[in-house]
Amino acid sequence: MTEPLLTVRDLTITYHGHGGSVPAVRGVSFDIEKGGSLGLAGESGCGKSTLANSLLRLLPAGTEVSGEIILGGQDVLSLSPGGLRAVRWTSGAIIFQGALHALNPVQTVGDQIAEPMLVHETTPSQTAAGDRAIELLRRVGLPAARADSYPHQLSGGQRQRVLIAMALACDPHLLIADEPTTALDLMVQAQVLALLDDLKQERDLTLLFITHDLSVLTYACQRLAVMYAGRIVEQGPSWEVFANPSHPYTRALAAAFPTIGDTASRMAPSGLGGDPPTPGSLPEGCPFHPRCPLAEEGCLVSEPELRSSGVERSAACILV
Amino acid sequence: MLGSLLTLVFVLVFNFFLFRVVQTDPIGSLFRGRNVPAATLDNLRSAFGLDQSLGAQFLYYLRETAQLNFGISYQSRQPVWDEIVAAIPATVALVGISAILSAVIGTIGGVVAAWRRNTWKDHTITSGTMVFYSMPDFWLGMILLVGFAVVLGWFPVGGMVSAGSNATGLARLFDQLHHMFLPALTLTLAYLGEYTLVTRSSLLDVMGEDYLTVARAKGLRDVVVRNRHAVPNALLPVVTLTAINFGFVLSGAIAVEAVFSWPGLGKATADAIRGPDLPMLQGLFLLFSTAVIVFNLLADLTYSWLDPRVEEA
Amino acid sequence: MTSIAMKRRRATAGRVWKEFRDSREGMIGLAVLAVFVLLALAAPLLADLRELNPVFARAQGNPQWGSPGEFGPLGTDHIRRSVWAQFVWGSRVSLFVGLAATLLTILIGSVTGIVSGFVGGKADGALMRVTEWFLVIPFLPLAIVLASVLGRSVWNIIFVIGVTSWPSTARLVRAQVLTVKQRLFVDRARSLGASGPHIVAHHILPNVSGLILANATLAVPISILTETTLAFLGLGDPSRASWGKTLEEAFVNGAMVRNAWWYFLPAGLGILAVVLAFTMIGRTLEQIANPRLSRSR
Repeated sequence: MTEPLLTVRDLTITYHGHGGSVPAVRGVSFDIEKGGSLGLAGESGCGKSTLANSLLRLLPAGTEVSGEIILGGQDVLSLSPGGLRAVRWTSGAIIFQGALHALNPVQTVGDQIAEPMLVHETTPSQTAAGDRAIELLRRVGLPAARADSYPHQLSGGQRQRVLIAMALACDPHLLIADEPTTALDLMVQAQVLALLDDLKQERDLTLLFITHDLSVLTYACQRLAVMYAGRIVEQGPSWEVFANPSHPYTRALAAAFPTIGDTASRMAPSGLGGDPPTPGSLPEGCPFHPRCPLAEEGCLVSEPELRSSGVERSAACILV
Repeated sequence: MLGSLLTLVFVLVFNFFLFRVVQTDPIGSLFRGRNVPAATLDNLRSAFGLDQSLGAQFLYYLRETAQLNFGISYQSRQPVWDEIVAAIPATVALVGISAILSAVIGTIGGVVAAWRRNTWKDHTITSGTMVFYSMPDFWLGMILLVGFAVVLGWFPVGGMVSAGSNATGLARLFDQLHHMFLPALTLTLAYLGEYTLVTRSSLLDVMGEDYLTVARAKGLRDVVVRNRHAVPNALLPVVTLTAINFGFVLSGAIAVEAVFSWPGLGKATADAIRGPDLPMLQGLFLLFSTAVIVFNLLADLTYSWLDPRVEEA
Repeated sequence: MTSIAMKRRRATAGRVWKEFRDSREGMIGLAVLAVFVLLALAAPLLADLRELNPVFARAQGNPQWGSPGEFGPLGTDHIRRSVWAQFVWGSRVSLFVGLAATLLTILIGSVTGIVSGFVGGKADGALMRVTEWFLVIPFLPLAIVLASVLGRSVWNIIFVIGVTSWPSTARLVRAQVLTVKQRLFVDRARSLGASGPHIVAHHILPNVSGLILANATLAVPISILTETTLAFLGLGDPSRASWGKTLEEAFVNGAMVRNAWWYFLPAGLGILAVVLAFTMIGRTLEQIANPRLSRSR
């Protein structure tokens, strides 16, 4: 078996700010095979965006990061600044969320797509970079004329496509999609998902897909991992985890979202009460127990580790 | 555009009526202390239309203003327009250079302060400029004058050229620059604080934006991220400020010019106040206001050209 | 006002004070200001008013252009008057004019802003046009022109500064009023049958007063510096000592050429200190009123 493209071991990320230390990610481990796809699901504040940003070391200065991130054979956390800059966008690229804020308002879309090509010198000239940018725009379904537009002149769906085109500029091996379909209406969501799927097949990309919408992941990814309070609480093949969750949180999450195409489920979503815990002040024992319908005494004692709950599946719950 | 024109009209009307309130007898004031027969004065009064109704006088005023005839200075007995025109170059040179320097230095200071936020660099720059901005500009001038001109003797004590000098060409230019150094330094120090504060604030706002993280993710060096992505977005309000400040170029150095006896519009204003030389004040006020209105308009146009998100005003 | 409302007001004031106390910048500013206010108030105890009279000064046998070594603590000027006395007594006018002019500015500006924002429509349009016009006219020349025309007295100066500085306050207040107006509770109050003035007093004002206070504190430096400049140019009240007037007299009578630094340094330092103090207090209040700003600090 070949080595995974991305290996993450015991990744722990702590922010240090005025209010004190906030543990955003607490000992996360996973692998993604080359050409594979992993979905990362969870509510806001669970640490998934922090995790995504940490893979290319994009966290604010002063953030404490420990553990291991091996991308394409290189230890990201111990790269020199020059080495890090070389790896960014070429080994792994991120499709950021919130497309309007992810694009520079005073630069044309074409220039922004071409920029990394010039930085990494993947094209022979500026004109070649511009041409390739247009090529990428066409590939994501936008007309060539859009290259001279400014971000505010595009619709939400168009901006998201631009971000996808931009991420592909240097032919990365790993594509990290951070909430690419949030804030888009359902029709556009489906189009973007289809596009990502096509691109993945076409270019043999490895995909890390982050979202709070569990149902989307079942279409987009082979495997999926659910995060809660900075840790992975369940992981396994996506369809299986969605259809037959082991962890109570996953169960609630799956039930909360209507499945695309299944009109019956739209009529009867069931929400999960309460709020996700504040990273700085987690409950005793299992962080999910205050909201868990199956909580019992043992849940307050200690935080459960991931334990096997099936073939290539695991969940962090004492009931497994 | 229309707004600016309307404002200009307001200024004209205001200028006229305000001075009419005080100038009850301009001809009499003009020739005060001179032995002029009453008949001559009366003739002059009717020549200037001063024996007519207020409305007629206003029309007369508009016509004269359009022809750049602002009356006669009480103090010099010369046409106000001539006096003003003679003083414009000195002020434009002094305040223009100071405005450019304070904009450039202030902006760079603001960029450094924001990018290295909360370090000693930031604190020094921010505190230092705040202190300079909080003192009367002419007082700073006085201190610099006493320190560098009186005590150390490195610079002249006033004026634009050395007295009795008939140097020409380059030598004359150097002499003028030598005279200009201290007043320019005063103005630059006093006003760069505004640019530092605005730039710093603006850049800090931009620094929180996602597209900077994206730029870093693409593999750009920190300095490139700052200069190519952060600063251009942060500069928009600074550009507007600069354009507006240039409008105040003509009126920006009244007290400082007085301290250094710099023969520009500021000194002319200071001298006119002592009269009071009302025709001069009236003419100067009109000029100052027009300059500001024009530059405000230019500022609006520049901003909408620079920021692709803004529709034309 | 109901007791609940009063309790809430007290609680807010207490909270503001507590936040203010935590700010080093604010507390330093407050301390410096306190020193100068005390100085101004204690003037009769600190310096004899008669020292400002040149005839008295001559009779006392004061030296002319005496340095601080010859005649303490700040020496004498060209007509033998004590500079210390001028400093102490001048602080009164500078502070008073600064505060009074700001009060006038805030009054005109707030009323204009509230009326403009709350009433809206044609009145708003007209008031905003006037505001814009004032904003465009160069401030100092306008002040000079008005002062020249009106004559040199403390009250005229206060009037002139107040009348030329109100526009930026008006714009700020109007923007805030518009924001508050959009919030639901104003509509609810209306539907409950509350009248315009009632809404203004009980809903608009409390939400705008924080901003007005911060703006006022930041406007005082402008008033003080304007008074100083106007006095320096000869438009100050000739019968009263002020820091600006001290600077004017120093300049006009050749203190610079003689290097009589004791004559013009103290007055300028006084202005600098007071302006900085108000700026620091104002910035702190601004941050408390609008916590979003602390990100940009």
